Amino acid sequence: MMSSRVIPDNPLSLSWQDSVWIPILNTTNVMEYFSQASNPFYDRTCNNEIVKMQRLNPEQLQNMTGLEYVLLHVQEPILYVIRKQHRHSPQQLTPLADYYIVAGVVHQAPDLASVLNSRLLSAVHHLQSSFEESSSFAKYHATKGYSWDFKSQRANIEKKKEEKPREEQSSLFQRQRVDMLLGELIRKFPLPTPPQPKVAPALPIKAEAENGPSESKDVKVEIKQEKIKPPPEKKPRIH
Amino acid sequence: MENKLKKYEKIEFLGEGQFATVYKARDVDTDNIVAVKKIKLGSRQEAQDGINRTALREIKLLQELHHDNIIGLLDVFGHMSNVSLVFDFMDTDLEVIIKDNSIILTTANIKSYILQTLQGLEYLHLNWVLHRDLKPNNLLVNSNGVLKVGDFGLAKLYGSPNRVNTHQVVTRWYRAPELLYGAKQYSTCIDMWAVGCILAELLLRLPIFPGESDLDQLTKIFGVFGNPTEETWPGLKSLSDYIEFKPFTPIPLKNIFTAAGDDLLDLIEALLVMNPIKRKNCTACLQMPFFSNKPAPTVGDKLPLPHSLRTMRDLDKPSLKRKLLDTAEGGTLSKRLFF
Repeated sequence: MMSSRVIPDNPLSLSWQDSVWIPILNTTNVMEYFSQASNPFYDRTCNNEIVKMQRLNPEQLQNMTGLEYVLLHVQEPILYVIRKQHRHSPQQLTPLADYYIVAGVVHQAPDLASVLNSRLLSAVHHLQSSFEESSSFAKYHATKGYSWDFKSQRANIEKKKEEKPREEQSSLFQRQRVDMLLGELIRKFPLPTPPQPKVAPALPIKAEAENGPSESKDVKVEIKQEKIKPPPEKKPRIH
Repeated sequence: MENKLKKYEKIEFLGEGQFATVYKARDVDTDNIVAVKKIKLGSRQEAQDGINRTALREIKLLQELHHDNIIGLLDVFGHMSNVSLVFDFMDTDLEVIIKDNSIILTTANIKSYILQTLQGLEYLHLNWVLHRDLKPNNLLVNSNGVLKVGDFGLAKLYGSPNRVNTHQVVTRWYRAPELLYGAKQYSTCIDMWAVGCILAELLLRLPIFPGESDLDQLTKIFGVFGNPTEETWPGLKSLSDYIEFKPFTPIPLKNIFTAAGDDLLDLIEALLVMNPIKRKNCTACLQMPFFSNKPAPTVGDKLPLPHSLRTMRDLDKPSLKRKLLDTAEGGTLSKRLFF
C-alpha cells in the first residue's frame, strides 16, 4: 500500500546508487547506505526509521510489528542482500521483497514469474530474429527454386562482427579489484624468471616499482626528442 | 462535610507541588480509585486573598466540563480551612511515556495519543476554554490507555473581544511564537502550537524546541522554519516585543521527522505554522487524512505503559496485593501527576 505509493514505476526496472558511498561500503554501514532518503526502495515509514528517529535501541525492532528491513546475506566486498519483511510478532515474519546490492548498485530481486516472463520473451525474440536473418539469405530463382546465398551479405556480417568485440570501458572499481587480485597472485607465485635464490625476486620488484615512474618519464622525453629531432635529420638529406 | 472526609480512604502519597499535595485514595462508596488534591493554604498573606487562583480556576471550569478526554473533577470538599479536589485517578502522563526508552511509540500509538488530545481540546475550545498550559506532563494517561487533558490551573475562558490576556502562559518549550513576541490577544491557536510541539516530541522523543530563554526559544523555532516576514505573517512587526533576528534557512520537516509519512508531515505542518491565523484548529485537524489513513490508532489497552506500571498490571488482581506493591514501588510512580 505504502510502498506502491513510494515506487510508482515497476521497481524491477529501477536501480539506485550513491557514488559517494560506494568506495566505503561495508557490512556495518550497508544498512545506513540503503536507508538514504533518495533510495526509492526504502520506505521511510518503516520500523527501522522509527527506531532511528526516536534514538531507540535497534534491538527493539524485534518487539515491533510492521515493515522492517534486515541485512540477509553478506559477501564482502561486493554483494549485500537486504530483505524487506512484515513482522507480525518476534517470531513471525512475512518476507516482502529482497534487494541485492552489487558493487554499490541496488536492485530489487525479481519474483519467479518476472524472471520466466523475461527469459521467455528474450528467447522468443532471439528465435524470431534468427528466422528473420536466415530468411534474408534465402533466394529464389525460377529455374533453380530456393537456395541459400551467403556471399552477397557476408560483408555486412563481418562488419557487425568487427563492431561487437568493442567492450565497455571497465569501471574504476573493476580495475582496482583486478589489480588487487593480480597483486595477490604475484605475491603468492613470484615470477620464476631469475634462477637465483628467494631473496632476489623481492629486490627486482622494488626496483621495478621505483623505476616505473622514471621510465614513463623517459618515454615522454623520448617522444619529445623524436618530435624535435626529425627536422635536423631531414635538412641534411635535402642539402 | 464529615461524611465526605470519610468517603475517601487514603491509599498513598503521590506527590507534592507548589500549591497542592496529591494523594491516591479509594472512594469507599463506589470502590473507585481517585486522586485527591489538597490545596495548600500557603502563607498568611496568600490566605488573606482566599483560595489560590489556580485551584479556583480548576474548580470553576472543570465543574462544567465533561468529556472522556478531559480530566474529571468528581468532587470538591472542604475541611477546616483546607479545600480538596477529587479527580479521576490517572496512572501516568505522556512525559513519563516519552522518556521511557523501553517504550516504542509507533505511528499507531502516536495517532491514538494525538487523536485523544485533539478530541479533548476540541471540546474545550468549542466551550470557549483555552488550556494555556499544554505539555506532555499535563496529558494524563491511565492504564486503560485513555488520555485526559489535565491541570487547568492556567485555563481561561476566551472570546470576549479586546480582552487583554497575559502572554506569560504556557511552558516555554511549547509556547507559540506570537506569545514569545508579546501578543496580548490570542486564541485557540496557542494551544494548537503546543499540540504540534507535543506531536513532534512523541516522534523524536526529545523536545523539538528546547529554548533556554524566551529569545533562544524563538531562535530554535526560526532555526527550523526560517524567519517569519510581514508577507508570511501580516501584522508581525506590530507585536509589542517584536525584534529582528539574524536570517535562518528553513529545514524541511522531512529531514527532521525522517520516519513520518506524508499524511503525518501534513498534520505537523498544519499545527506548527508561525502565523497564528493560518494554524488549523482542532476540528480541521481531526478531518485530516492522517486520522483516517492506515494504520488505525492503537486501541486503549494495547497502548504501551511505562516500565514501572507494566509489572503492576500483570500482578494486579487482588486489591490487597496491589496496595502492598504500590507502597513498595511508590517512588517510581508518576509523582508529578498534577503539579
